[in-house]
Amino acid sequence: MRPIPIHFSDKMMRALLRAATSVAILVALWPSESTALPTFNRQTGQNCVACHAGGQYPELTPYGRLFKLTGYTLGERTLPFSGMAVASDSKVGNTSKSDDPKADFQKNNSLIFATGSVFAAGKITDNIGAFLQVTYDNYASQSDDGKFHGHSGADNMDIRYADRSVDASHDWIWGVSANNNPSISDVWNTASAWMQYVPVPSPTSSRFIDGTTPYPGLAAGGNIAGITGYFYWNQMLYVEAGGYRTAKGPASFMSAGVAEGDKTKLRGTNPYWRATLTHEWGPHNFMVGTTGMVADVFDDPLDTSDPNSVHHFRDVGVDGQYQYLLDPHAITVQAAYMRDHHRVPGFLAGQPVSDINGNDLPDTNATDNTNVFRAKGSYIWQAKYGTSLAFFNQTGTKDSALYDPTRVGGNISASPAVRGWTYEVFWTPIQYLRLGVQYTVYDKYNGASHNYDGFGRNASDNNSLFFYVWGAY
Amino acid sequence: MNTQRMTLLAALVGLAAGCANEPRSRNTANPNLSGETLALQVCSNCHGPTGNSKSPNFPNLAGQQVAYLVAQLQGFKGQSRRDPAGYEYMWGLSHNLTDKQIQELAAHFAAENPERQQVEGKAERIEAGKGIFAAGIPDKGIPPCASCHGVNGLGNATFPRIAGQHVDYLVKQLSIFQRTNERPAATLMKTVAHNLTGNDIENVAAYLQAMPNL
Repeated sequence: MRPIPIHFSDKMMRALLRAATSVAILVALWPSESTALPTFNRQTGQNCVACHAGGQYPELTPYGRLFKLTGYTLGERTLPFSGMAVASDSKVGNTSKSDDPKADFQKNNSLIFATGSVFAAGKITDNIGAFLQVTYDNYASQSDDGKFHGHSGADNMDIRYADRSVDASHDWIWGVSANNNPSISDVWNTASAWMQYVPVPSPTSSRFIDGTTPYPGLAAGGNIAGITGYFYWNQMLYVEAGGYRTAKGPASFMSAGVAEGDKTKLRGTNPYWRATLTHEWGPHNFMVGTTGMVADVFDDPLDTSDPNSVHHFRDVGVDGQYQYLLDPHAITVQAAYMRDHHRVPGFLAGQPVSDINGNDLPDTNATDNTNVFRAKGSYIWQAKYGTSLAFFNQTGTKDSALYDPTRVGGNISASPAVRGWTYEVFWTPIQYLRLGVQYTVYDKYNGASHNYDGFGRNASDNNSLFFYVWGAY
Repeated sequence: MNTQRMTLLAALVGLAAGCANEPRSRNTANPNLSGETLALQVCSNCHGPTGNSKSPNFPNLAGQQVAYLVAQLQGFKGQSRRDPAGYEYMWGLSHNLTDKQIQELAAHFAAENPERQQVEGKAERIEAGKGIFAAGIPDKGIPPCASCHGVNGLGNATFPRIAGQHVDYLVKQLSIFQRTNERPAATLMKTVAHNLTGNDIENVAAYLQAMPNL
């Protein structure tokens, strides 16, 4: 069957985003308590706080989780399109320890239109719904003259069939999801695809903001195609399992717009699983869960002829979340840990490496382990004023393959260790507009606190301030 | 059969199966859905399948008066009840309800049995609230709650059942009656609540939530 790619031209995307931004500004100035909101709000007629904890999208409330698990089918069919746009400003603490600050910290301390998305989402039938996101990156590439060029491509996609049998004695929800990112189908905020909640602009000034710090993620990442089946029993036990393959054939739209060389190419079907236990009492709810995936990812997406040229990843994680939701308060505490075991293709293992002075380093590893822990606490009042504090810590095997004696981005310890904190305050003056400031502090970067790149750059030099304006309509 | 064909077949089967599922639909714009279906597939997400809600953000509906439930659903649908919980959660879900569905929804929750939920208030507040419920505060011109809501707090017609209701919900609603005009159908409560102090409200709410479950 011939694939049917979806393509939005950059010009069309820009026009859509201009229109979406204009509408967002118009609505922002509108004085009434309107119920006309992004697509799910139009479908249910409800305020953002119904589904999103303290209005802090995308983090879900128990009700929001049920809405998603029942296939986005609650409500009525409406115009299924929404738009989202992010303007941001990143400022790196120290830009002096660099050979070329203009390249290392592009658009530093400049307010930019960073990124935008259009969504087609909502109820299709009584049992089928979808969440399809196409994202435009305004700084996707740069030509030799230094000019940036935007590009759009498939982002998160989740199409699902769901059904529910519920009465006074039992509650069964079950369904099937076709999606392009392992854990995008998940409904808990500590899932790999959802714990990171602010888009990351691509200029290199944003390379140290929170969104680029280590998160407990699944190595296979997005732009692949999978089918998972799930059930949720008595709002207590959730189990999901499925498999992912390269997005091709009828599923090629799930990686539409992604350059061939940037696609994740998988060997065969790669299993994913998820299980959680949940409990709700009064205004409190708690979840503890585990997730995992085994994936074989081709080293070169442009050459998949050799089935042995794959990176073998085995990711196993545990996570938990506590929420206290009682208007006007929303408190969330999250913790997630992921252990990644990585076996590199044979031709990359045991390779000799020399340091910048010509001294031999140990040969590159055949396998690596990486451990990522992240915890976050947040408080939101009146769904308007919020603050959060996050801690992240990545540790792992030293591997000469990581040795990189270059300024700013380098790593002379060959260690993947990164550790730091992110503080955030944000304000949601109206429910479809959020302004936030994050400050990310590092006490370890690329394996060291001091001189991690071999040219005198310290981890704290990467401390970054990030300001963003996020609007959706 | 290869994977592509299986995917297509699964999608088609799903689509066909999903077009009509009225007994388990969550379509709030379908006038053919019964109140029972809406109660279980939609309302239960917050209020519980039997109208006994876990979160105090959402009121218990089990054993509530039919006339009161009908009046509230009509108030949400007509957007005359405009307290935050009303417009944030209920306006959208109710705006397509037919009169028949409203009657069936009210009948469903009225027929459910209230569960004995954990006592939420402190003993001293419950004791102080008991006096307000039974005798009012004559010095402030506040009548006893029992005079309209019944000696057991079970309500009567458009006077709601208040026994066993969540403390937080009661406190918020009494404050809304007192300070706003967001519930215009309850003008009587605006007068009743006018002279209640914050402490009085906390006390009487604690007692109501802890009342015996009759």
